[in-house]
Amino acid sequence: MSDGSRTPPLLEAVEVRKTYQLGATEVPVLHGASLEVRGGEWLSVMGSSGSGKSTLLHILGGLDRADRGRGEVRFEGASIARFGNRDLDRYRNRTVGFVFQFYHLLPELSVLENAMLPGLVGRVPFAWRQERSALMSQASDLLERFGLAHRLRHRPRELSGGERQRVAIARALMNRPRVLLADEPTGNLDSRTGGEILDLLAEEHRRGLGIVMVTHDASIAERADRTLWLRDGRVVEDS
Amino acid sequence: MVYASLLSNRYLTTRVIPLIAVLAVALNVALVVIVVSVMTGFLDMLRNSGRTLMGDVVVSHEIVGIPHYQRFLEILAETDGVTAASPVIETFGLVRMPYGREGESRVEPVQVWGIDPRTLAEVTGYTEAIYWKAPDPDRLAGMAEDDPRREAASDRLDEAMSLNDEGAAPAMVLGIEISPFNRRTRDGSYRPEPPAAWMPLHDVTLSLVPVSSGGRISEPREGRFQIANEFQSKVYQVDSQRVMIGLAEAQRLLRMAEGPLYDPNGELDEDGRPKRIGTSPARATTILVRGVDGMAPAEIKMRVATAYDRFLAEVRDDPEAKVKPPSFPDIQTWEERLRDLIAPVEKERDLMNVLFSIIYIVSAGLVLSIFWAIVHEKSRDIGILRAVGASRLGVLWIFLRWGLVLGVIGAFVGLGIGALVVDNINAIHDAMGDPAPGWSVAVAAALAAAALAATIVAAVRGSLMHGLVWSLTTVLLGLVAFGLSRHEGAVMWDPSVYYFDRIPSRVDLWRAGLTMIGAVVFSLLGAAIPAAKAADVDPVRALRYE
Repeated sequence: MSDGSRTPPLLEAVEVRKTYQLGATEVPVLHGASLEVRGGEWLSVMGSSGSGKSTLLHILGGLDRADRGRGEVRFEGASIARFGNRDLDRYRNRTVGFVFQFYHLLPELSVLENAMLPGLVGRVPFAWRQERSALMSQASDLLERFGLAHRLRHRPRELSGGERQRVAIARALMNRPRVLLADEPTGNLDSRTGGEILDLLAEEHRRGLGIVMVTHDASIAERADRTLWLRDGRVVEDS
Repeated sequence: MVYASLLSNRYLTTRVIPLIAVLAVALNVALVVIVVSVMTGFLDMLRNSGRTLMGDVVVSHEIVGIPHYQRFLEILAETDGVTAASPVIETFGLVRMPYGREGESRVEPVQVWGIDPRTLAEVTGYTEAIYWKAPDPDRLAGMAEDDPRREAASDRLDEAMSLNDEGAAPAMVLGIEISPFNRRTRDGSYRPEPPAAWMPLHDVTLSLVPVSSGGRISEPREGRFQIANEFQSKVYQVDSQRVMIGLAEAQRLLRMAEGPLYDPNGELDEDGRPKRIGTSPARATTILVRGVDGMAPAEIKMRVATAYDRFLAEVRDDPEAKVKPPSFPDIQTWEERLRDLIAPVEKERDLMNVLFSIIYIVSAGLVLSIFWAIVHEKSRDIGILRAVGASRLGVLWIFLRWGLVLGVIGAFVGLGIGALVVDNINAIHDAMGDPAPGWSVAVAAALAAAALAATIVAAVRGSLMHGLVWSLTTVLLGLVAFGLSRHEGAVMWDPSVYYFDRIPSRVDLWRAGLTMIGAVVFSLLGAAIPAAKAADVDPVRALRYE
């Protein structure tokens, strides 16, 4: 576990505000949410349904943006709002890794190809022949570590929920990100399988991976170093 | 982008619906390749026929003619690049045919060519165009007992090569389509019906209107001709209008032969007759020239023009030559000469290309609607790709590349289908002309029965969609089987209607290439809008809900 008080923030949200436009209606979701994640820290973000947990996670991961001029996300002190499209794509590809509640694997690709996917992004066909075997080997090692060595050629529809989520985690770790952003990673699994997934995340955390995990389950949040609460779009408690 | 290639290839091989777009593109390409190839082949045949008819270059001065043409022929014989030349008189006349109602004669307006058969055969395909040959024993065996061609004397038919010019009984060769009794059969050959109407048994009367070298019209003159043979140039307009007689006979009837030249001012000599001031030279209205094989007609035309200038200078310097050749005769290549015939067909072919572009728009629309539905269905996948760092351009390229590959495959499949059909178009046409073979009816009926069984299985399982698809297939195959059983043969390319007895069967590769490029471009255009939509997908919205 990390000592959060001494390490400078790796990733931080500063007074982030986010409002969605639903037709003519403006729906404010985040009202100035702030948090800090230090290197190698496991942070849980708890909150009720609709409190803005997923929105905050998406903004932290550069998948969504805060309202213009109303708060910012910094990675190693640099505001990602100032990133151009190419840098933001690269940030999502190399710096963070997403894990979703519903796994979100591509059904046309095999388990191995799904895991390799972030490694394929940014590669050009000319250099692909040389890089291919290294990437395949890396993805295979990850999947083997997650107990999926016998499933490499299978399609996602042929896997159980737990196996799919392990493939999704392998995909998120493919490019060795600094922070894993997990949105209810066990929300669609039974408690035993959910526990296995949390064990797997804990193992990666021990290896030095920073994790921001969104959940509404207090027993799951307990696995983290620190837990934040989001209520009405603000961080209201830091335990 | 490796992931774009991987995903577009995977989408192409794991989904059936895009194959419908491939099929649509392929059928469009095949259709255009077939139609344009046949039309181009048709044009080529027209051109070949044209060259066979008139050689490479034509020098003409209509009506009045070119005096001293023999001297021009001598100069042409010395000209490099010219292998042969033949004088012709072109005019119009009336032929009184040997048929019609009792007491009446049928008169046909015709284009008359006065020719020298020997030199004409060197310049054009005249020998090959002569249609009727003396029957050999094999053909005799296949002829009816009363067929007059059995008795055809070969020397009468061979008069086509001399036309008895300057003889007692001058001969004429008719275009094969002039006589309404020449019936064209399905194999493209002609048969006289009734046999007694076979033209080489008969005589005709030809009326011509002479025109003097000064352009004055004289009294019409008539001549009686034996029909020696008929010719087939394979160009309908020629075969239905042209008759050929000997050059000397044409000159005699048209007063274009050599003769005395009288004083145009009307002065009389000592005996009180018009004063003769010299000799009026023989004239020909047209000189057909054949060049060396492989030399461009334009090059031959240039050399002929130079030879004409020399001829003009020589005659002008000759004090004995009282009548001078025209300074500016028409000198044209065979292609320029046939422009009126070729240009409309070329225009029709171009019009076809334009019309078929509308089909491309339809196929682009099909690609667009299929891709639109797929992008909608795949929006979550697009969100995942964006989440792992794929750029908007990368997402755009997945779908554009998919459209490109689809267009390229469709274009090549279409070319294959088109080439297969064009190569075998005459065999297909012949097969369509015959009743359907029994096995084809049996196969179609068996397939219909199998589809009916599948319909019943689907009904038992309660699958509405499969039941509907199989029942429609049953009806379709049943109709095919019924249609085949009733098919007694249909001739679409009837040689009695079209100029040529075989359908052109060579793929126009240049235009096929353009067609393929068009298909790929329109497939890309069809994919472009859905691809842009994919690039615009908001990943947060796409990933929010399962």
